[in-house]
Amino acid sequence: MKSSRRWSNIIKPVLAVSSLIAVAGCAKDAPQDTWQPAGPNAKMIDDLQRPIFYIAGIVGVIVFAAVAWAIFRFRDRGQAMPEQTHGKPALEITLTVIPVLILIGVGVPTVGTIFDLAKTDDTEMTINVTGQQWWWEYDYPAVGDNAEVYGISDPIVTSGQLVIPEDTKVLLRVTSRDVIHSYWIPKLNGKKDSVPGRVHLLRMEGSEPGIYAGQCTEFCGLSHAYMRMEAVVLSKADYATWVANQLEAYNSPSADNVLAVEGEKLFLQQCARCHQVNGLLNADGTPNVAAPDQYVVSGAAPNLTNLMTRNTFAGASWDLLTPECRDDVWNATPAEFGEKYLAGVSEDCLNQKDLREWLRNAPEKKPMYADPTKLTETGGKYRGMPALGLTEDQISALVAYLLELK
Amino acid sequence: MAIIERPSSEVAIAGGSTVGVKPSEALGVFKRPAASTSWRDWIVTVDHKKLGIMYGVAAFFFFIVGGLEAVLIRMQLIAPNGKVLNADQYNQMFTMHATTMVFLFVMPMAAAFANYFVPLQIGARDVAFPRINAFGFWCFLFGGIFLNTAWFLGGAADGGWFMYAPNSSTLFSPSHGIDFWSMGLQITGIASLTGAINLIVTILNMRAPGMKMMRMPIFTWMVLVVQFLLLFAIPVITVALFLLTFQRSFDATFFDVASGADPLLWQHLFWIFGHPEVYILILPSFGIVSEILPVFSKKPLFGYPIVAMSGAAIGFVGWGVWAHHMFASGLGPVSVTVFSMATMAIAVPTGVKIVNWVMTMWGGKLQFTVPMLFSIALVVQFTIGGLSGVTHAVAPSDTQQTDTYYIVAHFHYVLFGGAIFGLFAGFYYWWPKMFRKQLSESLGRWNFWLMVVGMNMTFGPMHMLGLQGQPRRMSVWTEARAGEGFFNLGFWNRISSIGSLVLSLGVLLFIINVVYTHKSKKVAIAPLDPWDGRTLEWMTDSPPKEHNFDTIPTINNLDEFFHRKYAQDATTHEITQVATAEEVLAEMNAHPDEHIHMPSRSYWPILLALALPIIGYGLIYNRVILAVGVAMVVATMFGWAMEPSTAADDDFDPPAPGDGGGHTKELAPLG
Repeated sequence: MKSSRRWSNIIKPVLAVSSLIAVAGCAKDAPQDTWQPAGPNAKMIDDLQRPIFYIAGIVGVIVFAAVAWAIFRFRDRGQAMPEQTHGKPALEITLTVIPVLILIGVGVPTVGTIFDLAKTDDTEMTINVTGQQWWWEYDYPAVGDNAEVYGISDPIVTSGQLVIPEDTKVLLRVTSRDVIHSYWIPKLNGKKDSVPGRVHLLRMEGSEPGIYAGQCTEFCGLSHAYMRMEAVVLSKADYATWVANQLEAYNSPSADNVLAVEGEKLFLQQCARCHQVNGLLNADGTPNVAAPDQYVVSGAAPNLTNLMTRNTFAGASWDLLTPECRDDVWNATPAEFGEKYLAGVSEDCLNQKDLREWLRNAPEKKPMYADPTKLTETGGKYRGMPALGLTEDQISALVAYLLELK
Repeated sequence: MAIIERPSSEVAIAGGSTVGVKPSEALGVFKRPAASTSWRDWIVTVDHKKLGIMYGVAAFFFFIVGGLEAVLIRMQLIAPNGKVLNADQYNQMFTMHATTMVFLFVMPMAAAFANYFVPLQIGARDVAFPRINAFGFWCFLFGGIFLNTAWFLGGAADGGWFMYAPNSSTLFSPSHGIDFWSMGLQITGIASLTGAINLIVTILNMRAPGMKMMRMPIFTWMVLVVQFLLLFAIPVITVALFLLTFQRSFDATFFDVASGADPLLWQHLFWIFGHPEVYILILPSFGIVSEILPVFSKKPLFGYPIVAMSGAAIGFVGWGVWAHHMFASGLGPVSVTVFSMATMAIAVPTGVKIVNWVMTMWGGKLQFTVPMLFSIALVVQFTIGGLSGVTHAVAPSDTQQTDTYYIVAHFHYVLFGGAIFGLFAGFYYWWPKMFRKQLSESLGRWNFWLMVVGMNMTFGPMHMLGLQGQPRRMSVWTEARAGEGFFNLGFWNRISSIGSLVLSLGVLLFIINVVYTHKSKKVAIAPLDPWDGRTLEWMTDSPPKEHNFDTIPTINNLDEFFHRKYAQDATTHEITQVATAEEVLAEMNAHPDEHIHMPSRSYWPILLALALPIIGYGLIYNRVILAVGVAMVVATMFGWAMEPSTAADDDFDPPAPGDGGGHTKELAPLG
């Protein structure tokens, strides 16, 4: 009796401290926390996994307690040689049946959830998501409900941020242009691989306006760590505003913004062969059509139309907003979020530092196979953006021009 | 009594000529190294014990290499935007860390124990195919070295140990790293495959009289299961690696999407191998602790038949769970359901083992020696890894966890906390058997506790990191995704990185312990039966003679050695010692077997193995070198085939007398 009380004196504080650590050990507001669902799909997973973690925890504690008790109770105190028992069939069968029952209990709801998550027949909106080294392209096709309900009368092509309306069953059709990537916004749903040659379906739905972080989770080569993404959920009214803005006709910078006018010229010379800006005209008045397939292995480069309506660039690796302005958007309440997000990137809020570094020497900032001397295997094509050798003045002009794209 | 390599020189002289040593009758180039001594003996040996030690030393070397790679990874991740490695180096580092630990440490270290102890545990004098055994070792060593030479020849493989297509094609990985990887693994695969056949034949055919399958020591049982897994799993990865090599070296299009391929083919092939591989890694350690827990609990293994059969069950069901590595790959809900359920099912036999280990300790007389401590730690840490495993058998939950640090935490608890702790338990337990000296228990305790603290500090926080969204295989992490508060992801990354240093210190103490034990004069020779063992390997000298047993024992019981030492009183049921180990051994050796035929040394295994990396270099650099390698393979195979299994009389120096049986080993009185 005495010894067992001593034992419980040890075990109680240990349990208390360890559960405290488990709770206190969690970061507050980790943007990719898998335990903070913000949409019904992630919630379904969360509802399933929480009890399973508790069961696993309880089983663990029982096993540890049994081991601890055996260590304490049966250590060699000079007792006689124990009986050479080879087993007790009844006990062994019981101890086999118990885990079987537990696993049946876990298995049944698992099957239900697998099929619930695979449901697609009540889709309200469709977006094509294409991964490539090392960024995501979002293509909002102008078909069906997209056009009729959400006003997407022309296709919208963006990158970096997936923008979806609140409480809408959005179906992502996920594929890849080069290697395998994986699309993951933890607070909205589990991940789904984007495999070249295949289209995988992934349901997304956000219950509250806000911005949700994600990351490519299938190793996709050199710059895998820099392939991030964000999902933006807007109220339906704000969403309509966003769509209208994306579809607005292109306007060249006004003549009094000299720097931006110069930037547009420079953009046409340096950037437009890969980066599409819808509505941009060549010097001869013909529409500029980017041809990234001639220069890039994956055959695509981010469409920069309305760049400054997004908050990120370069595969969502860097923010277009300064840290203060970024925090302002990220920490906005659901009610204020839409307004702050739709404000886009103003000159005051532009993260000049990272954007200029990127334009100065992109492959130095984000590892890419863009050394022109080492492109034998790819037939001279880049994987990522090469260094353009721009002067500081040219960079200033380009930044001034990019600021106009919203 | 003593064993001699060959009839003594006196007899030889009496037999006639002492001059005119002729080359082997097999292939008239070099004389067969029938009686080599000194370091040369290690090159040409076919002795399973020497090969076991060589496997162990080589595997431990690779463990240090893989460990240093791991420490570099953790140093890179100790802070956001790490600058220790660039992205390219980081990708090579984590690819080679996993490849090294899986293929060049845990597998061969398990092979080391299997080689050394399976023949001893079943009362055999060697394995069934001793030259193939030597060939296997050299394949592993040369394959491992070949694989690592990539570091100095333009960079190591950078596609992850899973090497998913199409990222593994030359377009996306232009260096030769992946060529080295696929050829290197092909060569080490030969080691595993030949070893598997060898050990299966040995275990099925060469058990001592009376040793029924259900009297085999549990370690031998687990090794048998593992060899069957290897036998069927290695061919799958062999095929996959050939496809990869053809894709990269000869422009084949097996994984080329533009040509109509589906890259998921690679994933299926890889994981059909890869998941049984997980059990290949863990089951030998399960066997080791299933030997150690009974010895230090002074009780037989609880539920021996169930433990043996659950091992076999894991071996079977292990084939039906591969796609749980692919829950996010887009298999469709039906496939996902099937593999999810199969994965849960495999938790049952695994759980049974844990229950039986605990029940073995229950009611025992526990002695907390270092091997026992490592074994208990395995039980606890593997339980944690097993339970986190169940959470991602739940496929929807897995879609949140896969490719995050939660998975890294899970499999390091299973493979480090489980497999590697089991191997360390084996080091401490069997060291006195292999090397006559017992490793220091006090240094061993430091070794143990530093490894326990280090292991949990390194991999425990990874549960937090993964569940809060940090993906794997990222060369950098960013403050922007780390969350707020003191205990944010940055904190846990730091703890994990510091833990890896503690863990390294623990491993360093093991090395210090080995050096200390063998250098210090204070450490005495260990007694014959230091742990009061239960199985046959303790029923012979330490280290065992080349022929293992002077007399092959007849087996009447599971735990035969224990039953020869102890007897139970029929009325009181009290168990008393009736004989010491020395007495048991003396009684056994009173009537030694008269004709002991041991296999002869050969240099063909090392030459044939040496030809394989030459083919590898040839494939990568130059077709002429390739032709040289192929010619060497053909020539050495021919030489090997022509070589008799036992050396001819005139291979000995001086030659043995031609008296018929004279060229085989005989137990003969000397002096």
